[in-house]
Order: sequence, then structure tokens, then C-alpha cells
Amino acid sequence: MTALLEVHELSAGYGDSDILHGLSLRVDDGELVAVIGPNGAGKSTLLKTLAGLVRPRSGRIALRGADITGAGTRRIVASGLCYVPQEANVFPSLSVWENLTIGAWTAPGASNERARAVVDLFPVLAERRRARAGTLSGGERQMLAMAMALMVEPRLLLLDEPSAGLAPALQRLVFDRVREINARGLGILLVEQNARESLALCQRAYVLAMGRVRAEGAGGALRDDPEIRRLYLGG
Amino acid sequence: MPPIAQYVFNGVVTGGILALPAVAFSLLWRLLRFPNFAVSTYLTVGAYVALVLNHGVRASIELAWLGALVVTGALALLVDRIAFRPMRDRRPFSLAIASIGVAFVLENVVRFVWGNDFRSYDVPVTRGMSVAGLRIGRDQLLILGVAVVLMALAQAFLLRTRLGIAMRATADNPRLAAVKGVPTERVIALATLGGGGLAGGAGVFLGLDASIDPLMGGGLIISVFAAAILGGIGSAPGALAGALIVGIMEEVGMLVVPPTYKTAIGFTIILAVLLVRPTGLAGARS
Repeated sequence: MTALLEVHELSAGYGDSDILHGLSLRVDDGELVAVIGPNGAGKSTLLKTLAGLVRPRSGRIALRGADITGAGTRRIVASGLCYVPQEANVFPSLSVWENLTIGAWTAPGASNERARAVVDLFPVLAERRRARAGTLSGGERQMLAMAMALMVEPRLLLLDEPSAGLAPALQRLVFDRVREINARGLGILLVEQNARESLALCQRAYVLAMGRVRAEGAGGALRDDPEIRRLYLGG
Repeated sequence: MPPIAQYVFNGVVTGGILALPAVAFSLLWRLLRFPNFAVSTYLTVGAYVALVLNHGVRASIELAWLGALVVTGALALLVDRIAFRPMRDRRPFSLAIASIGVAFVLENVVRFVWGNDFRSYDVPVTRGMSVAGLRIGRDQLLILGVAVVLMALAQAFLLRTRLGIAMRATADNPRLAAVKGVPTERVIALATLGGGGLAGGAGVFLGLDASIDPLMGGGLIISVFAAAILGGIGSAPGALAGALIVGIMEEVGMLVVPPTYKTAIGFTIILAVLLVRPTGLAGARS
């Protein structure tokens, strides 16, 4: 079976220095895969490279068997891979509804119907549809960022630390939504600082360090691994 | 001596003309994050394009105006490809300096080809109307009307159309817009084309209202800058309001200071805005 996402020996970085050194991973259809690791491990760079913002130096990225290595951002989003950055992930001067319109840029047909369906998942957005995104709270902004990504009905969602900077109650809400989106059959590659929570949430996980995969396995197994606990989960 | 109301009316017409390049300047600044000082020189280019059409092939002034709109827009696009696009990732300061260089080149090409003389269009002379003691030219009313309609169209485009929303999104965050699949370079090209067209059309208005010479546009840069800053960078209605205020203050100011100090009024407005309310009237957070 071809994987939804297959990353093979990927190297990438900024300027002359590589951040990722021959990293390989895969996400299967409908799978929720977490990527954890210390700061500077290359988690965000990995997502940016997959989204087409950072050009890979070598290696191969395939989405459902189709090679998208080095493709532009537009082709990547059109082929069903949607990236939600950690910060600056909404357009602050646009209204909530306009943000959703831009979210649907590559799939404009019936975008109103889709916006309504997406908003069912995040009811707070319906109440604030006319508000400028810049006036939303941190939690609402995160919901909007995810809603924008869902507007193109992607096959794979890349989430960069969706819980960062949120109060615990809001973090739980965000993780609930992530689980719900995944339950609808969407593949998710989740990068999280909150390693415990994401290991509990995911089906499989990769542990990154220094731009390489250090460990992989089922979320629960990694959580119970004494070495992983000591190194990445704070004992 | 004409009543103050005459100065105010003249100021409104000047402001209407000024509003077109001010909106272009303001939106391009917001989109590309540098003040493009070549915008005011596009007025000169537009005025001379219309002059060539009007004198050379005897086109009516309306047709010449349309021609100026199209040709100046296309020129602005060409300038962007040659001068600004290769520098997209540079600091705003470098791009601003590059735009001053572009303005110099354009101005001197015009000077080289057409000389330094003052010129005017071949248009039928119309008698001005007299309303409540004000002298009002038909051209002035037409200019004002077209300027207002163009502003309304620009605003409707930005607020109501998919491309307009994409333009504002690109101004907000070009990387995120690209991630969402918005063709940001095409959006920039469209804004450049439209902005250049607006400025070129304004140049013809200025030539009709006053006269045509190689410095006509470049000399307005301070006023355009003042209008854009006063309105708040990135706001089309703000730029219109800013342009009207600058136009009126410059004309009415003639009652108090000699015309040679006209530019000083623009400078004073810039200074005052930056000191008192740096975000301008519309107050868009940058």
C-alpha cells in the first residue's frame, strides 16, 4: 500500500547549514502521527520543507506516491497537503470569513457550503465571522487557522504546535478538535512541544533530535520507554 | 481677491487628483513594504503618453486618458520586473532608494525626449461656471467625478472581490498567502498595474488642471507621501481623505505663505502626523 506521505532521506536547511539530515518518515491514510523532540531538533523545519517553504537539499517527498519534492507551495496545497504554521497563521486585517475564503483559494467551488461545515466544528467562528482575525483571542485564532486549512478538504494536515501559548483548558479543546478531525479520516502530522499529550493522542510517533529520527513507534510504547521518558518527557 | 471658498474648492480638485497616486502609493507600500517614490513620476509619464496621443495621433482627451492609464500601468509593471522584483527580499530602505533611482531615470528620459518646456493638451476651451461666487471649470468637475468613481471602484475591488481579498491577505502576510496557494507574484503584478494606471490617469488630470512639464509628477512626491501617511498606510479611503486634506491645506495655505513654500506644507503635515498619530487617520495597525 502506498503511504499517504512518504519522506525518504530528506535533508534541508537555511543558507549553507542543514537542519534536517537524511530524515525518513511516513504517514498512512487517516493516521495521526506525532513528531516530538527538543528545541532545535528540526520539527518546524520539517513541516516548512513539506509545505514547500524550505527547499529540500536532497531526498524525496511523495504524497500518495506522487513526487512533490521541491514543488511550489501552490502545487503542494492543491495536491492535498495543508500546513498550519505555529505563529502568524491567520491574516489579522481580514475578517474571519475572508480568512476562510483565502483558505479555500485552491478549491473555490462551493466554498460557502464548506465554510459552514467547517464552522460547525468551531462554532465560535460563526459568532465572530465578521470580526477581524487580529482581534481574536489566542484560542480562537488557533481554531481559525485550523478551519482555514480544512477549507480545501486536504488529505493530510501539518500542524505546528497548535497548543503553544494556550491555557490548559484551551489546549484540551484544541487537542479534542485534532482528534475529531482525525476521526473523520484525515491524516495528521502533528508537531508538539507538549510531548505527553501528543503521544497520548497519536497512533504513532517519531522522536527527532539533531535533524534525525532517533526513535519511532506507537505513542503508548514511546511514552513507556524509560530512555525516551528520561530524555524527552522530563523523567 | 477670491474668497477662501475658491481656494478650498481648488484644494478639493487638487486633492481628488492627488488621491489616485496616494492610493497607489499607499497600497503598494502595504503590499511590498517599501515606499515607492517612482509612483509620483508615473504621473509625468501618464501626462506625456496622453500628450503624444493627443498631439501626435489627434486622439480625443478621453481616449488619450485611457491610453495613459494602460501604457503607464504597463510601464509600472515593466519597472517592477526590472528594478524591484530582483530585490524582493532586500531591506525596505534599499528598495526605496532603488525607486528614487527609477524616478530619476524616467524623469530624465521624458526631459530628453520632450524637453523642459511647459505644454498643454489640445482641448476645446470651455467656459467656467459661476456658482455662488465660485469659479468652477467643467474639467474640474469631471476630474473630481472620475477620481471619486475610481476610488470607489478600487475600494469595492479590495473589499468585495476574491482577488481583492487575496491582495489584502498578501499585504498582511505574503508567506501565509503563498502557503494557502495564493499566486502572490501575480497579485503584486496586478496591484502594480492598477497603481501605475491610477497614477498615469492622475497625470493627465494634472496636465488638464495645470500644465505639463517633466517635473510635474516628481514635484508632488511630498504631497503624495503626506496624503498616504495622513490616511494611514494601506487604507484606500484613508488615502482619499488624506489627499483631500493635503490638497485643501496646500491651496488655502497660499493665502498665508508664498507659493514657493507649498512643499513645506506637505512636509509639515508629514511631521505632524508622525509626531501625533503615526498610524494615520484610518489607524491600520502595521
